[in-house]
Amino acid sequence: MDLLRRFALGEIDAFETLVRQFQGDIYAWIVRIVRDPGIAEDLTVETLWRIYRAHQQFRPDGNFAPWARRIATNLALDHFRRKRPEQSLLAEPVGAPPPDHLLQQETREKIQQAFRRLPAKLQVAATLALVEEQPYDEIADALGTSVGAVKLRVFRAVRILRKQLNHLGVKP
Amino acid sequence: MNEHDDRQIREALKRSLPPINAELGRDLWPAVLRKLDNRPARVPWYDWALISLCTSVFLFFPQLILVFAYHL
Repeated sequence: MDLLRRFALGEIDAFETLVRQFQGDIYAWIVRIVRDPGIAEDLTVETLWRIYRAHQQFRPDGNFAPWARRIATNLALDHFRRKRPEQSLLAEPVGAPPPDHLLQQETREKIQQAFRRLPAKLQVAATLALVEEQPYDEIADALGTSVGAVKLRVFRAVRILRKQLNHLGVKP
Repeated sequence: MNEHDDRQIREALKRSLPPINAELGRDLWPAVLRKLDNRPARVPWYDWALISLCTSVFLFFPQLILVFAYHL
């Protein structure tokens, strides 16, 4: 019997194999959204736990990765909704700082501030599409919506950001 | 709003949100396993139904408690 079929039946060995195979991808997806390695690890563990709990709903002839990604995205969205005021997108830079000599610290902070104020759905769509440059169809799949809806969310996010930045006197 | 605006915002966001390391640093399987073990088992609905039924019977017919106790 193949791995996905055994997982759908609730076999823990099959689930362990899937965890080892997909945990890196799930973590990478979540950390791109929440931008905090500690939170991303916690959400990855929660995602994997929910995946196991939902094993009966998984169709073995389906694709595991997009299904897992959708569960992960929903958890990341819930996290944003719960933690909005304190949520930080200011992960420590990896390696050398970005070439930001043209962009002042204050401007960066104002942009981050404006970005954090976006509604969770718009923020996630904008992060994945604009910052992480993920394909629209993958984002749509992970959000459980259409490509058109994702494009609309990104459009709305950009419009709100521009308004807020104008209000804050920032020229991007 | 045009494509130029879009690009401007995109670039500003990329400069403002530092790149993140998307590599997972450790194996999460032990943590998942702990979580699977720690979650308390859910009481199935029929157990709740049985408890409710027994409570109702004993409330309306308290003399049955003695009969029940006798048969234990």
